[in-house]
Amino acid sequence: MADITQTASSSLLDRLDDAALASAAPTHIELMRELRIKQKPGWTSRLSPSVAAFVTNKKGMAGVIILLAMILFSILAPMFSEYNPHRRAGKPHVAPSYEHVLGTTRMGKDVYTQVAYGGRISLAVGFGAGIAAAAIGLAIGISAGYFGGRVDDILTFFVNVVLVLPGLPLIIVIASLVDSAGPLVIGIVLALTGWGWPARTIRTQTLSLRTREFVLSAELMGEKKWRIIFKEIFPNMLSFFMGGLVLGTISAILAEAALSFIGLGDPNAVTWGTMLYWAQNNMALQTGAWWEIWPPAVAIMLTGAALVMINFAVDEITNPQLKASRGIRRIKRFLRRRGRSADVF
Amino acid sequence: MLYILRRVAFYLAAFFVAVTLNFFIPRIMPGDPSARIIASFQGRLNEAQIEAIRASYGTTGSMWEQYLGYVGQVLRMDFGISTVQFPEPTSSLLFYGATWTLVLVGIAITFAFLIGTMMGIHAAWNRGGFFDSVFTPINVMLNAFTPAVVALLLFYAFSLQLQWFPLGRAHSTGLSPSLSFEFIGNVLYHATLPVLSILIVSFGGWHLGMRNVMINLLNEDFVILARAKGLSDRRVRYRYVARNAILPQITSLALSVGFLLGGALVTEQVFNYPGLGKFTVTAIESRDYSFIQAQLLLLTMSVLVANFLSDIANVVLDPRLRKG
Amino acid sequence: MSSDRALLEVRNLTVDYVGEHSIARAVNGIDFDIREGEAFGLAGESGCGKSTVAFALARLTRLPGLVSGGEVRLNGENVLKFDKARLKAYRWNEVSFVFQSAMNALNPVIPVAEQITDVIETHNPSLGADGARARAEELFELVGIPPSRLDDFSHQFSGGMRQRICIAIALALNPRLIIMDEPTTALDVVVQRDIIEQIVDLKAKLGFSVLFITHDLGLMIEFCDRIGIMYSGELVEVAPSEAILTNALHPYTRALGNSFPPLTGPRLRMEGIPGSPPDLRSLPQGCRFAPRCPHAMDICRVENPELRLYPEHRSQAACHLLN
Repeated sequence: MADITQTASSSLLDRLDDAALASAAPTHIELMRELRIKQKPGWTSRLSPSVAAFVTNKKGMAGVIILLAMILFSILAPMFSEYNPHRRAGKPHVAPSYEHVLGTTRMGKDVYTQVAYGGRISLAVGFGAGIAAAAIGLAIGISAGYFGGRVDDILTFFVNVVLVLPGLPLIIVIASLVDSAGPLVIGIVLALTGWGWPARTIRTQTLSLRTREFVLSAELMGEKKWRIIFKEIFPNMLSFFMGGLVLGTISAILAEAALSFIGLGDPNAVTWGTMLYWAQNNMALQTGAWWEIWPPAVAIMLTGAALVMINFAVDEITNPQLKASRGIRRIKRFLRRRGRSADVF
Repeated sequence: MLYILRRVAFYLAAFFVAVTLNFFIPRIMPGDPSARIIASFQGRLNEAQIEAIRASYGTTGSMWEQYLGYVGQVLRMDFGISTVQFPEPTSSLLFYGATWTLVLVGIAITFAFLIGTMMGIHAAWNRGGFFDSVFTPINVMLNAFTPAVVALLLFYAFSLQLQWFPLGRAHSTGLSPSLSFEFIGNVLYHATLPVLSILIVSFGGWHLGMRNVMINLLNEDFVILARAKGLSDRRVRYRYVARNAILPQITSLALSVGFLLGGALVTEQVFNYPGLGKFTVTAIESRDYSFIQAQLLLLTMSVLVANFLSDIANVVLDPRLRKG
Repeated sequence: MSSDRALLEVRNLTVDYVGEHSIARAVNGIDFDIREGEAFGLAGESGCGKSTVAFALARLTRLPGLVSGGEVRLNGENVLKFDKARLKAYRWNEVSFVFQSAMNALNPVIPVAEQITDVIETHNPSLGADGARARAEELFELVGIPPSRLDDFSHQFSGGMRQRICIAIALALNPRLIIMDEPTTALDVVVQRDIIEQIVDLKAKLGFSVLFITHDLGLMIEFCDRIGIMYSGELVEVAPSEAILTNALHPYTRALGNSFPPLTGPRLRMEGIPGSPPDLRSLPQGCRFAPRCPHAMDICRVENPELRLYPEHRSQAACHLLN
């Protein structure tokens, strides 16, 4: 029996003919080399396993980088712009030029300044509502799952009600009653209507955690309930909380854009949604002023795409099965070289 | 049976929560709701309209009496008089718009569900392959694109520039509704772009949902057993995996109805399509509160009905639920 | 009742689990035969690789598992190199499988009948739907379930009945080998007995071989003709089952036997052996059991012993103490 820790002097593929290759077992090192598996980068060793899994996840990190770029852009860019997003900065519908990098709107406002500045509000509304909805969902989901019984029945009823109440129409009712629905009002209403999904997921997870040994033993040791919730259950819910946060943020950004687009928002506020609203009202596409509509649209799409990528990474960490590893192709090649069909995957 | 009864009880309760919210939201705002609404029209209302608003907010009597009165109205499907299309009753406008929205969302949801689910099955079965690595992320990202932009682009490219599709309306003005091929064809022609724009931003969700549930099921012993039995790939994929994975998909299909109806709002606005969303936007602009409130109740009702249908589908498809 | 002719020859079978940043060698080059009509048992602590072996024999290894080397020979043909058509014929005609948890082995939303008839119709299309149905009824009677219940769903059966149904499915095509991966672990003791007795009866009647995997060493000794003991992905001893308790050659086998309370106590307890198996991602040099072995010598920490036949005991073992 070959000792698998020994180093191979030459590649197995070179040493053996086809027939022998088919049944010879490669050593550990040879297999690592043939499947091109690299050891975990050393710098991640100090991180907790799930954080390390996230920072080495390409999709997730690409999402984080795009998102950070969007955030930095919306924080910093208005500082370097000489224009005021609310004021006329030039002639109407000037095409992109040196003075106006992304042109001007029909009102003569600078589009570049508006996109950057609008990002502050759109992102703040999105993240604010997403974080708040995930936090409400976390609190309600853990309480329902952990305390069970009557508490669970009542909370689950409300979770189900929030899930079946159509969010956007409800927001329209509320927003149309206040004089003008500014970003803050929209954000609050989105948070109050968006916690159904995270609450449901987290409740299910808590239920399955509740009967696990470490929770039961903590109970037997006489730990206080709130301590068990914070020390034993909460850490295991972090990734589900993150998932809820990311999805909540996407839907809040999209909902803000939709509400502003149909004219429910405060038309004087500058957000990506109101920019689209004005572009549509000003017939930007019809008059060929593509630069009025594309920048806010691309900003929303990029943010959405970045959040989707982060969500992919979070999903893959909570459920490693979902990770369609590139390794599959290498394993298929490994088998094909040895005359074996890659049938069961 | 018990299961269905329990669900029905929940739907009734959920509907009452929506009715109660609808009743209290205008009343927790400071001031007398009807006075606020009347004031917002800045004297552009006649006596009859003012009377209609007062009546629909029934500000006489105790809160409890007002509430009971409101519930009675809702149960009679009496949503008051529209202040915009005065003196049309709100309910007739509502049902007219709802019909066209149903056409749009109905077609879009069917195709999105079928396309997304089939793609999800394919992606899960060949996970890690080319299709899965390229289209799974792309399709899901389309989900995060704002419906407004997709609708505007389609409208600009195919209606304005290429002029392949009409600029608005649900059917040509010369045609009167009938069950003829000509009329139905005309309706479908007008619905193509709006349906497409809802479809584009929604099928990715079904793709991802089906893919993830399928991948989890691939670990189940009964799937491994099906493979060990030497059954054909097709049979394992559809009869043993997709058959089970479709169950949670149906539940989320019902829950997504509310979201899609909300999305139709923007689409109808862009394509000038005479659905519920278009009327709602008009109602918002003209502060027609009785319509705005009624659309919430109608949409809630449709979500509840969709959920009820999905419960029945689940009972039919899942023998475990037929136990009790 | 078993002959000496080998039905399935396993040679240098190696299975790896391929992770994102590491590879764990779950089965490291093991050799054994399953003879015709024999019940062969694989025992060992959980994680020792015994189920992995069972899956590899049935060509069911799935990602992240990879059979990276070795051969599984059936009448001189290498099972691992079967193409699609040959594999289809191999499956269920020659080797069938009974899983640990009958709860999950039946699809909950398909009637049980279909899960029997589909395998019959796939492999014997000439039988037709009626023929397959008749065979399914026959199989139900064989395992003692009224055929009238064929159209029920799995949740309508008790745990024991479900496992009988799984055995009926496994018998559908009269296979030459049935792999049973902990077939009774999820059942209570009384039902366990019934099922085992039934398997013994059926085996006597139909003459198939069995690869039997369980934690329950007592049950295994009673049921099997020969037993292989696995430790950390390697076979450390292969012996006639009566020798496992009385005449064990390998210190690990002896430790397993000692930690097994005779007569009472249904499950094998592993706490009797101090320490835990090595990390399969980075294995120590030498014998894998050496760190836990009370008799470890210097050579044990340097060289990994090979499995050798000791004819006087009719056993094979891999241990330096024996040389």
